[in-house]
Amino acid sequence: MIFIVCALAAEAKPLIETMSLRKDTRSCPYETFFAEDSSVVLALSGMGTVAAASATTYLLTRFGFRKEKDFLLNFGSCAGKEEGLFLINKITDEATGRSFYPDMIYDLSSFGLPFSSEKALVTVSKVVDSLSDPNLLYEMEASAIFQAGARFVPPHRILFIKYVSDSGTDDPKKITAALLTSRARKYTSTVLAVLNHLGDVSEPEINIDEELFISTALALRLSETMRCELRQFFAYAQAADIDMEKILFGLHDEGRIPVRSKREGKEVLDVIRERLI
Amino acid sequence: MSSAKGLYNFPFSHIYVEEKAADHDLTKKILSRYSKSAIIPIAHYKDVFNRPRQSFSIQKGSPSLILAKNTGNSVFKGAPVCQDFGYDHFYYTSCVRNCIYDCEYCFLRGMYGSGNVVVFVNQEDSFSEVEALLKNHPVYLCVSYDTDLIALENLTGFVRSWTEFTMAHPDLTIEIRTKSFRKDIYEKIPYCDRVIFAYTISPQEIIDRYEKKTASLSERLSAASCAMEKGFPVRLCFDPLIYIPNWKDIYTSMCSDVKKHIDTHQLKDISVGSFRISAEYFKKLRKDFPISPLCQFPYENHGGVMEYPEPVRNDMENTLITLLQNLISKDKIYQTDF
Ligand code: SF4
Repeated sequence: MIFIVCALAAEAKPLIETMSLRKDTRSCPYETFFAEDSSVVLALSGMGTVAAASATTYLLTRFGFRKEKDFLLNFGSCAGKEEGLFLINKITDEATGRSFYPDMIYDLSSFGLPFSSEKALVTVSKVVDSLSDPNLLYEMEASAIFQAGARFVPPHRILFIKYVSDSGTDDPKKITAALLTSRARKYTSTVLAVLNHLGDVSEPEINIDEELFISTALALRLSETMRCELRQFFAYAQAADIDMEKILFGLHDEGRIPVRSKREGKEVLDVIRERLI
Repeated sequence: MSSAKGLYNFPFSHIYVEEKAADHDLTKKILSRYSKSAIIPIAHYKDVFNRPRQSFSIQKGSPSLILAKNTGNSVFKGAPVCQDFGYDHFYYTSCVRNCIYDCEYCFLRGMYGSGNVVVFVNQEDSFSEVEALLKNHPVYLCVSYDTDLIALENLTGFVRSWTEFTMAHPDLTIEIRTKSFRKDIYEKIPYCDRVIFAYTISPQEIIDRYEKKTASLSERLSAASCAMEKGFPVRLCFDPLIYIPNWKDIYTSMCSDVKKHIDTHQLKDISVGSFRISAEYFKKLRKDFPISPLCQFPYENHGGVMEYPEPVRNDMENTLITLLQNLISKDKIYQTDF
């Protein structure tokens, strides 16, 4: 699942429309949208770090972020020297001076995000009227999303993609919803292509036969420590492509399972180890 | 990991440069070689290297480089699980953290939370630490402990500088452990009989399965042979021995390859040890490689060290020692015991 946090509806609108996300009509602390097939969920946090951190935590806990499969994306506008779409490689929180670094592992150049699109960003507490460093981008949520997200999300599964809406203004009203939406729309296809690509990135997991494991642990009268040992045997059998079921059925046929005492259980555990190696 | 071709950036596509290290000559030299990489300034290397929840294996797909200054100690006393080869004052130094190779059993996976590579550019400070130790006693120093320095020689030049430093300090002996194929290195560094090149030797099947990106068996043997021709003392390390169901066959055939390619009587010595790793580190390896037979093997925990069950361990080590005794005298074979 792709988890997306946007500050404003105007920024998220093109994504919501293009991905045909539906609004969650249940009462939610943050406006939430989701794809029919549960591949995407998006929350509107509102502006500022407190709102962003709490919306991120809400989204990740409510929909259960899986660190081997899911991605967290923060998409939104920022102030910068030149128009464009940028991949963020460093986020500095102006208030604390702390910096945060998402992993820059994936090659997204063929989707329109080459190295030249990478920039560092500063999270500030109010709209900036000018760029103190013209090489940096300025916005109001990223550092909080990173910090809240980092409690659940590994750094290779968090992504910040920002588009420039202005180069700093003394009148925030000049950054209209229409402007934010039209700029966001310009980059929607790039963002979707990146998400499609990353949506396929998953890491291997061990899936042991839990039913067989539990029935064996009970039949062998195993203590908690011995259960851990048995679980490891199951994991090894799966990794080494060894038929654990066959070994256990063999022990059933020999009359060694079930056992009558814990001591016998320990002995059978040793036999399983021998047959595995 | 589903890894479509082109999923990852190229290795060292991103270089993080610590403020303190930015002006160091070595930093400048390294950055000039990587003109296509994105350079990201950082305050301290730990801000990147020590982030929580990093995935060592994913980062290995596209490791970033971190250039930093080591402000603490960089020379340490050898741990008991290390073979000390009879030297009383056994130390190791950590001028690079992590390695560009990708061995599934590598203890660095457990030791560090990150698969990125840190180069401490201030090698001169490590030299001063070693000089301080040398005032008290001779030193045996393992300089390629947390990495494979030969593999990184084009980047750092540390093999050359450690060799030159050793030449100038008669009470210093260094060991450079490697799985590299590079032979050209022996043309590029001065000769010193106190610089020991230690080649880890594994059967090709183990290399293919568990020692990704490293040199093949024949390349390692050829490089070791080249080092001996240049007069350098060479050690072959049959360590770690890795169990797979047909281990006896593959290790026997590996020993014939060694005999074919190496004048074993010229070797300084040989070390033999089966795979073992601190239980603490091993937890991370198991998490990182849920479907690896090597990591999921039911090892036994002996005093905080994960090892093969004794019968397996003895069988593997004794078989190897017997095979190796046909190649070299027994007193030149060191077996790990702890
Ligand atoms: S060569 Fe050594 S340091 Fe490098 S990955 Fe392999 S075991 Fe680790």
